[in-house]
Amino acid sequence: MAAALAFGCRQGDADAAAPPGSWRETLLRARGQTVALAMWQGDPYINAYIRDFVAPRLRRDYGVVLRTVSAQGNQIVSMLMTEKEARRPNSASDIVWINGETFYQLRQIEALYGPFTDRLPNARFIDWRNPFIRYDFQQEIRGFECPWGNVQFALIYDSGAVADPPRTRAALSEWWRAHPGRFTFDVQFTGLTFLKSLLIEIAGGGQALAGPFDESKYRESSTRLWAWLNENKRFLWKSGRTFPDGVAQLHELFASGEVAFTMSNNDREVDNKIAQGLFPSTARAYVLDSGTIQNSHYLGIVQGAPHKEGALVTINFLISPEAQLEKQKPSVWGDGTVLDVTRMPAPWRESFTSEAPRSYAPSRAAIQGKALMELAPEYMLRLHDDFRTHVIDR
Amino acid sequence: MKRAERHRAPATTLVALFAVLPIVYLALLSVTRTGAPPRVLPAEWRLDAWRFLLSGRGEMLRSLWVSLALSAAVALSSAPLGFVAARYVAFHRHRRLLLFFAYMPFVLSPVILGTCMLFFYIRAGLSGSLAGVFLAQTVFTFGFSIVFFLSFWNREKLDLEDLVATLGGTRPQFYRLVLLPISRDALRTGMFQIFLLSWFQYGLTILIGEGGVRTLPVLVYAHVAEANPLFAAAAGMLLVLPPLALLAMTRRPPLGSL
Amino acid sequence: MSSTAKARGGRVGLAVFLAIAVFPASGGLLYALLYSLGGVGLLSRGWTLQAWIRVLTGSEFWRSLLFSSTVAAEVVLISVALGLSLALSLGERLQRTLGTLLHVPLTVPNVVAAFLTFQLLAGAGLMSRVAVRVGAIPDTARFPSLVQEPWGIGIVLAHVLLATPFLVLLFAALARSERVSAFVELASTLGANHTQTLRRVVLPLLLRQALPSLVLLFIAILGSYDIPLLLGVQSPQMLSVLVVRKNGIYDLAQKPEAYSVAILYSVFTLLLLLRVIPLQGRRREAS
Repeated sequence: MAAALAFGCRQGDADAAAPPGSWRETLLRARGQTVALAMWQGDPYINAYIRDFVAPRLRRDYGVVLRTVSAQGNQIVSMLMTEKEARRPNSASDIVWINGETFYQLRQIEALYGPFTDRLPNARFIDWRNPFIRYDFQQEIRGFECPWGNVQFALIYDSGAVADPPRTRAALSEWWRAHPGRFTFDVQFTGLTFLKSLLIEIAGGGQALAGPFDESKYRESSTRLWAWLNENKRFLWKSGRTFPDGVAQLHELFASGEVAFTMSNNDREVDNKIAQGLFPSTARAYVLDSGTIQNSHYLGIVQGAPHKEGALVTINFLISPEAQLEKQKPSVWGDGTVLDVTRMPAPWRESFTSEAPRSYAPSRAAIQGKALMELAPEYMLRLHDDFRTHVIDR
Repeated sequence: MKRAERHRAPATTLVALFAVLPIVYLALLSVTRTGAPPRVLPAEWRLDAWRFLLSGRGEMLRSLWVSLALSAAVALSSAPLGFVAARYVAFHRHRRLLLFFAYMPFVLSPVILGTCMLFFYIRAGLSGSLAGVFLAQTVFTFGFSIVFFLSFWNREKLDLEDLVATLGGTRPQFYRLVLLPISRDALRTGMFQIFLLSWFQYGLTILIGEGGVRTLPVLVYAHVAEANPLFAAAAGMLLVLPPLALLAMTRRPPLGSL
Repeated sequence: MSSTAKARGGRVGLAVFLAIAVFPASGGLLYALLYSLGGVGLLSRGWTLQAWIRVLTGSEFWRSLLFSSTVAAEVVLISVALGLSLALSLGERLQRTLGTLLHVPLTVPNVVAAFLTFQLLAGAGLMSRVAVRVGAIPDTARFPSLVQEPWGIGIVLAHVLLATPFLVLLFAALARSERVSAFVELASTLGANHTQTLRRVVLPLLLRQALPSLVLLFIAILGSYDIPLLLGVQSPQMLSVLVVRKNGIYDLAQKPEAYSVAILYSVFTLLLLLRVIPLQGRRREAS
């Protein structure tokens, strides 16, 4: 509410004579629009945040109706690509929840609208100085997507079953050998982020693979990664012949005790999964000694979006201190904010700093030193396809 | 056959159990949570899913209405259309060729054919909309509809038509007074079967609906994908109950030819 | 009959038939063909056989075809065996309450069957827990992989659960309409024993009549999507899952391959269909 008051976002403030292109005019035009948000819907908490918090608020405060469409990364690309092929003027979706590799591909086929972040009043709170937010998979955002959340990859284990979790790649394979069938990773975004962290470690750690995609470096380090995986995969779940299709399935395997580890792109997720009752209260999160990837996820507007104003208003609300604070609560989603707390008006600053401490996840300060930058998107695209050729199909 | 006689009682019980158990299991999954293995019996009763459903807050109830409206519309359009087209096919010189084309949209995997046709739906601005899914499902069930009604159109019906004409009846009279009464049962059965085909359809709906048309099968799968078995089972119950109710009302639904 | 054919059919019938049955499906397949050859598509660089060469020379498509056909054949064989034996042993009981009860599993859709099979057979699923409880295995980790494993056991089982009640009812209905009991009586009057009657009279009679439905069942499972999506592995994948994956893969250049797999699958299925239609005709003339 304070956010709405502070920036005059209420529709009542907007008058008919709003200058064209102004935020007031955007608000006016947005009213009554039904905005379609294409998002990954693999987590009941995230779905509930959108459905029970964001959607009612948008409807009440801005007259915008929010509708979700289930689609993630590659599906979004394929969908928008077919729309382009069919020369459809109006896209079926307005906002897409993306990062890195999807952003890269959507920019390639020119499916994103922008630059638009300058037009969002709340964008001034975003922590633009943070390289983990300003760069998406080593790419400049250039206003074509808006940061939404910031997270770091973490492994999750059951401290009741595993006393001392493996913290290096060597320790991992040792643990696998000693406990066959009790570890695996998914073949979607989360598992690939895990592989990427290992790839960086193999290449020499830290900044070894920073910068634009380097074919020879990739070849060398990925060959070693596949060799290591093929050597050890028979100790993975189902003897490494198949992998869970998504992180939700991996969580379920962990929850039912079939495997002893799961993982998350979100360092805080363990808190919300314990609160939800899915994970045992003995579940804990940690990061590898060689570091794990920290990245941000973003919201883009589709070039052919029929409701651009509604999309702008929606995104502006999603990056408001109010929505970001709610999203950060472990009981809601536990997603890290992209806002710079020091830039916020005083009451918000206090709410953010007095936020409930993490109960089972490591603190951000403790793992920030082990945060690795995302690699150029081609690494992920290649890993995704090569993992299939070199590991699954063998 | 004497030998078999003695085995019948246990076999009957077994078959009856086999027929009913899946639904009982589904119902249990929608209200219980099993603890960590090797626990076999449910650890706790959880009414979350049903409470949520009845609260009307979530989308389960909306999905139920979407599914009901969609499948009813598909049945109401596909059955009469198939009925008319079947007459054309039944008495055609190249009956087999036409039959081949009629079967085509029905036997090809809906998702594969849907992938091939998606372009046209997008082009027409129909993808991602209920109208698009309705059209796609109508095309898919139409082939079945023709094949189903084909056996209705035999020589007898032609002779009847001739008879009415000979007796001086007009075509509208023939349709209203003769055809409608004798085809009522077949139409009803056909509609029921087409309703079920549409009601159960997942792949085509998710593809042409682009994830935005959330029918019950789409919802069940979405809950499975978010590792939420409680909600998946509850949505699954909503999917199973209406056909069960129809079954209970009719007692003996006629069996179609797949 | 031929002289009246056109008049009988009516223009409405023809229009409806062309608009709904013929044009959309053929149009889709034509588009797929053009796309696979580089004739259309956002990233197309002109006509090329590349996608076709990659699909036909690589192992992925062939393994998928083999896997899908094997699963479909297994389902048909198992459910026919179960369906026949149940239909014959239960006999006229199927005309009473039991027959109605057997309609109950027909109200279970594929998505739900896949979900239930998973809950039942997963590593920490109900069966595994029961096995531990009765002492068959020390802990759930020892339970054999029955879902999400390369043999497709879970996929076959889910399909068998769905197909068997249907086949029991089908065989029972055929047995009534073909007056099997009359033939059985005739055979035994002529001195045939129980086994002979079954092998020489009942089974050939029923199977021949059911053949079109069985081929259609095979075709349906060949293209099945919902069940292998949840119960299958990443490799080999059943054909529908493969096409959808290739169509939405990160490597956009692989999209034409999705369409060539779609064409190959369609040709294979339609060839099977060509076998069914004469059979349908025969059945119709017989009845």
